[in-house]
Amino acid sequence: MDLQQLKKQLSKDLNKASNSKDLQDLKIKYLGKKGKISLLSKDLGKLSQSERPQAGKAINLLKTFFEEQSQILSKEIEQQEINAILEKESIDITLPVDSEKLGNLHPITKTVDKICQYFISRGYSIEDGPEIESEYFNFDALNIPKDHPARDMHDTFYVEAETLLRTHTSPVQIRSILKSKVPLKIICPGKVYRSDADQTHTPMFHQIEGLLIDEEVNFGNLKHELTEFLNYFFGKKLKVRFRPSYFPFTEPSAEVDIMDKKGWLEIMGCGMVHPNVLKEAGVDPKKYSGFAFGLGIERMTKLDYQMDDMRLLFENDLRLISQS
Amino acid sequence: MKILKSHLEEKLGRKKSVDKLSNQLTMLGLEVDSIAKLKSDFCIDIDLTPNRGDCFSALGVAREIAAADQTSLKKENYSVKKHGNSKTKVLVEAKEACPKYSYLEISNLSLTNSKGKAKELPQKINSRLEAAGINLINPVVDILNYVMLDTGQPMHAFDKNKISGDIKVRFAKNNEKIKLLDDQKISLSRDCLLISDLNGPIAFAGIMGSKDSSVEMNTSAVVLESAFFAPKFVRGKARKFGIQTDASQRFERGVDFNLQLKALEMASSLIIQYLGGSSTKAKEIISNNYLPKQKKISLSVNFLNERLGTQLPSKKIKQFLQHLDIEILSAQPNLIKILTPSHRFDLEIQEDLVEEVARLIGYDNLPIRKLKTTEQNFSKTDYSKLLDLKKFLTNNNFQEVINYSFVDDDLQNKLELSDGMIKIQNPITENLNSMRTSLFPGLIANLISNAKRGNDYLKIYEEGKVFSKIKSIKESNHLAGIIFDQEKKSWNSSGAFDFYSLKELALNITNFSNVADVSLKKSDLHLLHPKISADIFKAKKKIGSFGRVHPLILKKINFKKPFFYFEFQTNELFNSINTKLIEPSKFPSIQRDLAFIVSEKLDYIELFKEISKHAGNDLIDVKLFDLFKGGDLQKNQKSLAFRLTWQSVKGTLEDSYIDSVIDKIVKNSKSKFGAKLRS
Repeated sequence: MDLQQLKKQLSKDLNKASNSKDLQDLKIKYLGKKGKISLLSKDLGKLSQSERPQAGKAINLLKTFFEEQSQILSKEIEQQEINAILEKESIDITLPVDSEKLGNLHPITKTVDKICQYFISRGYSIEDGPEIESEYFNFDALNIPKDHPARDMHDTFYVEAETLLRTHTSPVQIRSILKSKVPLKIICPGKVYRSDADQTHTPMFHQIEGLLIDEEVNFGNLKHELTEFLNYFFGKKLKVRFRPSYFPFTEPSAEVDIMDKKGWLEIMGCGMVHPNVLKEAGVDPKKYSGFAFGLGIERMTKLDYQMDDMRLLFENDLRLISQS
Repeated sequence: MKILKSHLEEKLGRKKSVDKLSNQLTMLGLEVDSIAKLKSDFCIDIDLTPNRGDCFSALGVAREIAAADQTSLKKENYSVKKHGNSKTKVLVEAKEACPKYSYLEISNLSLTNSKGKAKELPQKINSRLEAAGINLINPVVDILNYVMLDTGQPMHAFDKNKISGDIKVRFAKNNEKIKLLDDQKISLSRDCLLISDLNGPIAFAGIMGSKDSSVEMNTSAVVLESAFFAPKFVRGKARKFGIQTDASQRFERGVDFNLQLKALEMASSLIIQYLGGSSTKAKEIISNNYLPKQKKISLSVNFLNERLGTQLPSKKIKQFLQHLDIEILSAQPNLIKILTPSHRFDLEIQEDLVEEVARLIGYDNLPIRKLKTTEQNFSKTDYSKLLDLKKFLTNNNFQEVINYSFVDDDLQNKLELSDGMIKIQNPITENLNSMRTSLFPGLIANLISNAKRGNDYLKIYEEGKVFSKIKSIKESNHLAGIIFDQEKKSWNSSGAFDFYSLKELALNITNFSNVADVSLKKSDLHLLHPKISADIFKAKKKIGSFGRVHPLILKKINFKKPFFYFEFQTNELFNSINTKLIEPSKFPSIQRDLAFIVSEKLDYIELFKEISKHAGNDLIDVKLFDLFKGGDLQKNQKSLAFRLTWQSVKGTLEDSYIDSVIDKIVKNSKSKFGAKLRS
């Protein structure tokens, strides 16, 4: 057959091909073992030596032409076919979905953890103690004997004689020293109980107690450690002041205030561990000294989340606590 | 305590700005709670700490300011001519409770003027009393209250004509009655200190006088009492009877035991000045053995400087102490010996003196020092593991809640959660009167209140202690949650939360915590539906339960719709094995599917166990991929289709080996359960 004619037919065939199967068929028709172009190549042998190169070249040109054309076509067809699939798979992406409300830690837990992470990173270990406590650990061992007026400051819940709901996390101080020996660095987050209820008091609340005992610990160390902590907690350099206060288990005792928009705001209590407390826990106050601090988690939470009524924290209205 | 700025200025003998004054007081440890502006004055409200009874007066507060300013107070002089001795005899029987009783008599005084109206006291006295929140009663009582406000010494006046016989200071007899000034009649116990006359009690010592001996407008002669009652014997009494008074508050904290005569002097001179009359000489009955002593304390200069991070010389420390009326017995370069003043009961050891010096320097002026120590104590705690677990639950869309640890005992009784229940002796309200034995009551309260607000889908959990006393008091850490799903599901939702969703969650919790050797059994927790619940075991120890809440419980809490509950003992989740990483097999795995037809009654686990028993050591996974009833099956039959996967760490498994294993599985399942292979 005339090469020109073959080329014409070939072009016509390619134009007609509309899917990958057609294209495959054409490849067989032209380039297969018995394909039209392949047959031409086989016939080359029949030609004379002088005709062969020219004819060979022409056949090759045709072959290249076919290959190029079919490749272009193949790409087009592939694209069309993919498009068809995509079209078929299309969905309504505007349909609504149920986005399940994400769970959340309670704001109190978040505040406790924010504080714990700081002290853990400073080498403090986390301790725990019983919430039903003996009078001894809650008061006597902390230098608060039976008729001490400081007992009146704590409206104590009793469950039986000499057994009470701890009014502060400070009993863990003694328990930890007895358990771990000095030197030590601990913090203890936990629930505490006092018979008191109004906008700023709930009968159960949370405290974190901190205690550090070592040789040569002084008041300047306490100031440094707590100032750094408060800067961390509030995420900025704060104006902090220490002023004298009174806790039977520390001497000197201090209250820590920070400067707020409205003025000085009381944040936490602290002091150098009272020698009577050290003695009670079997530590030699001549060799060791230390400091202790305690802070109210609810107060920190209120500040961090800018809320007023502390009681809301324990009503567990999901609309509120899930916001934190 | 509330006090007028002008009153303090009078004591100091100079003016101070209210801001300066207030800041100074706060930084001395006398925290100023609030300042109220009056016409030409300020009322300063000071929050006194219980150790500073000595500041419960204008004198005490001014003394602190003078010390801080390194000045002294203005001298005051009250004196009036005295005539003769008091005819009233006082017998102090309870010497330990009343180591000092000072008194005098004033006769021929008159509380009223010629028109029969009460004589007016100077406006200064009235306004100071009013500012302090002390009610005006009559001129005698007002003067005595004023002396108390001014000096800190509580005083009492008896109408001399209403007293018969000698005055006795003694303890009450059991159930002895007294009618107090406020008309309240109380019945005393033997630890209550009394002032009595021939006819019985005339005052509840240090707390309140009796109605019958009280000064009234027609009183013409009085016995003035200025005593030192030991704090121990006053403390707690006023509180016990609900009659806190200005006097009891001061006696409880401790009154200067050298103040009594000075106060009598001031009171008698004011009374005579404004109400006329004449006074006898004061008489004092002192039991030195029981009177507090001024204490000697040795202060090491090095100790003080080490504690405060300062380098103060002995001389400077000595000056600070002297400004606080502390007497210096001797002062060497490294040791200062002192005697405490009679108004300070809180100074006992050298640490107390360190605080005094620190106060006067100002805490804010003390140096800030970085810690030298880096000692760390890595005792293992469960804190971070617990937090991880909580976060795991929140990542599963659970909201954490925190409830009070005390609940209503009626509720715990009703829910049969009262085994070993610990009751609170003095609950704040009756519905918070027992320690929770389970987290369940708190969680259902949260469910009910949130459901009432229209919440029809809720996943909450709580972590905390539960309490019980069988032989001794026990606290256990629990983690529990509730899942309530009554939501109208969205078009593409995979269905409501059911027992199997809960089972998946419970096993995920144990997996997450790496609990080894976990197994499940039907639950015996009475809160749960007996057929739709399970207990979860670690080896032989029960560590939790989960399931649908028992319909009977729903009835008891009057909640109509079903919900799910789970609880774990968290301590059991944490003492688990450490994870050891095992190298996975390099060889190909083989999978085979087997479908058995068995009786509908047969529990899955039985067939599973039989398959596992005969499947050889290389079985690595069993998946139930189909559970089918009905169709061509008989009514009491079901089909269970398993996909089994084998893989060896030693080599490629032969088909013939798998065939032989399957053969064994099929034979044994047939003989044990009559299980037929489904074709």
